[in-house]
Amino acid sequence: MPARSSRIDSVSSRPISRRTFLRGTGVALGLPILEAMGPILGRPHALAAAPSTPGAPIRPPVRMACLYFPNGVWQPSWIPKQAGFGYDVPPSLEPLGALRDEVTVLSGLDKANSRQGDGHYAKTANFLTGLPVRKTTGKEVDVGGISIDQLCAARIGGLTPLPSLELAVDPVITGIDSNVGYTRLYGSYISWRTPTTPLAREIHPRRAYERLFGVRGAGAGDPRSAIAAQRSDDDRRLLDLVLEDAQHLRDRLGRDDRQKLDEYMDSVRAVEQRIEFYARPDPREWKPAAGEPTADVAPPAGAPGDHCEHVRLMLDLIVLAFQTDSTRVATFMFANDVSGKNFGALIPGVSGSHHEFSHHEGKAEKYEPYAKINRWHVAQLAYMLERMRAIREGDGSLLDHSMVLFGSSFSDGNRHDPNNLPILLAGRGGGDIAAGQHIASPPNTPLCNLYVSMVERMGTPVERFGDSTEALDLRSRGPRRARV
Amino acid sequence: METNGRDAPSRYGATRARSRSTTRPTRSWKTVLLAAAATAFLGVRAAAEPGPDATYEEKVQPILERHCYACHGKEKHKADLDLTRFKTTADVLHEHALWKTVVGRINLHEMPPKSKPQLAHGDMELVDRWFNGLPKGKSDCNELANDENLRWYRGFVLGRRITHSEYDNSIRDLTGLDLKPSRAFPDDGSGGEGFHTAGNSLYTSTILIERYLESADRVLDAVFRGREPDASPAEREAFHRVVSAQRAEGMEPREAARKCVGELARRAFRRPVRPEEVERLLTLYDPVIARGAAYEEALRQPLRAVLVSPHFLFLPEPEPEAAGVYRLDDFQIATRLASFIWSSLPDAELSSRAEQGGLRDAETIRGEVRRMLRDPKARALGEDFALAWLELEPLGSTARPDPQRFPEFDASLERALREEAVQFFHDLIANDRSLLELIDSKYTFLNERLARHYGVPGVEGVEMRRVELPDRNRGGVLGMGAVQVVTSFPTRTSPVLRGKWVLETLLGSRVPPPPQAASLAEAGAATAEQTLRQRLELHRTQPECATCHDRMDPLGFGLENFDAVGKWRTSDGGQPLDVHGKLPSGEDFSGAAELKQVLLARKDEFAAHFVRKLLGYALGRDLNRFDECVVDDAVKALRDADYRCGVVFEAIAVSFPFQNRHAKK
Repeated sequence: MPARSSRIDSVSSRPISRRTFLRGTGVALGLPILEAMGPILGRPHALAAAPSTPGAPIRPPVRMACLYFPNGVWQPSWIPKQAGFGYDVPPSLEPLGALRDEVTVLSGLDKANSRQGDGHYAKTANFLTGLPVRKTTGKEVDVGGISIDQLCAARIGGLTPLPSLELAVDPVITGIDSNVGYTRLYGSYISWRTPTTPLAREIHPRRAYERLFGVRGAGAGDPRSAIAAQRSDDDRRLLDLVLEDAQHLRDRLGRDDRQKLDEYMDSVRAVEQRIEFYARPDPREWKPAAGEPTADVAPPAGAPGDHCEHVRLMLDLIVLAFQTDSTRVATFMFANDVSGKNFGALIPGVSGSHHEFSHHEGKAEKYEPYAKINRWHVAQLAYMLERMRAIREGDGSLLDHSMVLFGSSFSDGNRHDPNNLPILLAGRGGGDIAAGQHIASPPNTPLCNLYVSMVERMGTPVERFGDSTEALDLRSRGPRRARV
Repeated sequence: METNGRDAPSRYGATRARSRSTTRPTRSWKTVLLAAAATAFLGVRAAAEPGPDATYEEKVQPILERHCYACHGKEKHKADLDLTRFKTTADVLHEHALWKTVVGRINLHEMPPKSKPQLAHGDMELVDRWFNGLPKGKSDCNELANDENLRWYRGFVLGRRITHSEYDNSIRDLTGLDLKPSRAFPDDGSGGEGFHTAGNSLYTSTILIERYLESADRVLDAVFRGREPDASPAEREAFHRVVSAQRAEGMEPREAARKCVGELARRAFRRPVRPEEVERLLTLYDPVIARGAAYEEALRQPLRAVLVSPHFLFLPEPEPEAAGVYRLDDFQIATRLASFIWSSLPDAELSSRAEQGGLRDAETIRGEVRRMLRDPKARALGEDFALAWLELEPLGSTARPDPQRFPEFDASLERALREEAVQFFHDLIANDRSLLELIDSKYTFLNERLARHYGVPGVEGVEMRRVELPDRNRGGVLGMGAVQVVTSFPTRTSPVLRGKWVLETLLGSRVPPPPQAASLAEAGAATAEQTLRQRLELHRTQPECATCHDRMDPLGFGLENFDAVGKWRTSDGGQPLDVHGKLPSGEDFSGAAELKQVLLARKDEFAAHFVRKLLGYALGRDLNRFDECVVDDAVKALRDADYRCGVVFEAIAVSFPFQNRHAKK
């Protein structure tokens, strides 16, 4: 396997695959922007250097990623026995290795509003909202509130080209579960733009990349050219026209149909805003050291056959998006809820369905593979964190300026238990998170208390979120071990 | 009293009054009025046939009390079912479909569970006779659910976004180019009765708008490539159809653009387009011409706008000013028909029927439905309806056999398995075959790869074709490898999942999720030497498990000859297979061929479930009690037609809910 740390500017004559580029810091430092801009994602102005602000150095922004994995955990291998710093690392967390000082382990956090409802859907759809999920096979889908990532995107998303990034690996689960009375789509979405509107997730690495960086095949020419400007004008006129059509049409529709046209109009406006973003002065004060990636760092087209490869490409994209300050908010689903993914090819001796193993019935033949699958997911997190730690920003690393939430929507898979959730928070959120400890909250502490603390660090505080009672203290609690 | 009874708008009101009057005569007239008011509110209308019916209160309820209320009552309501809330026959009729399930489960000896006292034969018969003797209130058939007749009713999204299949097929039918642009779209979930057509669960997000715009460019690139010398015949034809055919000799460019844009808009919007609408679209053409661009470059802009317009991307059904139920106009009916049968837009013939006002007559509609089912575009029903109904959509993506255990499962096998299901269903409807062939047929659709997989000799080449089968194990959906894969775990079969699939997908029965596993006592240690069947049988010795697993597992045992990728086998792990199964009803069978006969004996359950699914697909929402009339009518039509399936599509197309809408203000 090629070295993951290879930098683009240290490329020798050794042939380096595209994967290596993306896996490296992945950014062409100081190279001119080469990508051809498509008409829609087209940018009249590239990320031109904004006038530098005199005086104190501008701090890098805080970024937030929320990573979800399905089917809960085998708790005996997950929860550290001691609280505070210097806990004994449980087997499922071992892949964190030296990164454990960058990670806060949280236990005792509950999602009380998932104590009712079915085993899966009523627990996953509200992973980031914390409010009750309405039981429905499709009519009036509702997760109680906006998700925490979208709250941040709504408040600070205008500062970056993309307000937020939603990624996943598996297609949306189709059908309804008529036995429990829920549409299965609940198991495929954690990002909710409104309590009733989930956000589409991108599952193809290449398309996600193109959406971020606008690389759309050669031939579109220089984005600063007169032709590109004309394109933007054409696009604006077209979007204005269809928006007006939609408004007229909306007035003649019934109430329920109107909601759907509102979604169309909101989305057309979001596309317009993205075009406008490049027509206005860049609102970002802090400039990443890295410029835009060049076309040849794009991930290969098509679906990666290998699950591990697929997951890592998606995590790479989040890192790249954060590094280039293309967005500051991202969510990722390792798989949909109830996933029966077979890890046989990735973990020796673990052939079978993930969901089936999670219903372990207390049998070692099931909980052992189950715990190994948990551990595999932690290893992917470690991969991502390693990359983030290697990227220098200001006086620290990208990881120091980020918060990576990693967790599942229930704890024990056999009981679908929404209490004492398995939650990790990596990074220092810009500085004051005392990472490296296990924070064991008293029973019945709302998970949403953590979210309140996270939103605060995104620079856009809220008093309450979901069923929160107060902000969770992420600062130092116990004696601090020296960092390795 | 008698007078009051006759005048009451509901015979259930009268019934109730009479039964009460025996115990509380002084309050009888009040009861009549109250009951009448209540039933009017609930929307249960008078039925013509006379006769009091106190059977429920006097005879049925005591049976339920003895056998059912302990688990399905106020305290415990297993499976979310509290039967004590049904106080009168009117209450029962209000949830007729639920009671159909209740009585069905009793008749099949599935309830009460076998660990509990069973119903005496006479009691079972009484319940069955009572239920089947209930009038269904036929007047409901010309109603739609609304606030007055269904409390807390909130509407459905009906003017929905088009599905990804509808998008692809519409692009194909507009241009002649089968580009399948939706492959780049973020995928949709399902709602209603479990289909992508459910308007409520079709969302439009920013990514999708971006993809619609990109797709419009891609489509127009292909169309305009048609004028280049190296264009493909399809591209040349597309350019001709969309652009050059619209421009008569000597026509002014702007006039030609108007015709070209107007024609695409008319077809894409599925209705006549007003001149001002076209003129508005041309406001995108003019500035491009003004900056000196060529005609075709300018023409692209309004064409692009048509392809991202809400009039194209949605199936809007604007409502009249007044609230209430109204019939859709002919173009809206044509649109609903084209979406239902082709997952596309109306063709020239359907559009001209609409223009002539021909879609108001049931016979014309039936004729159109028959024509449309025979059109190759009806394959969409195989892809969009059948695959979703049979839960086959995850095949190959999230339902994927273990590659080490089953290295033969590759992309070409996966394609063939999916194609078998699609073509089987398409062939069934295109040739108006019996619906029962879905359960048991003498043929299926195979290519060489799949035939080899199934062990059927004499099939060569990659083309799928109809193949007669040597025995009766394989034919029908139960013998399809696609079904067998999605009802298996990656490394082995699951008789439980298969049994559950048969109950839910074919018979429309429900199997509640298992109780919290933690509460289950260990039923003795299973050992590695035991067969899967032995382990499952051990599991069923626990009464908590038996209720459902007695229904599911035997069905799955009958299918054990099909392995986790659908190959035929007679042993598993070196041990011979026992494919015998016995249901709570006492029916027993051995192997798939006999299991199919058991299912055929329940053909009306199967037929009714099929109709419900298809109706839910056609309407894009879940069903309510007003839709049960359509189901009953269609099942009756099926029976009369010897189960030839075409009548179901006709019955749905001419049904009240398909043709009418309720405007809620």
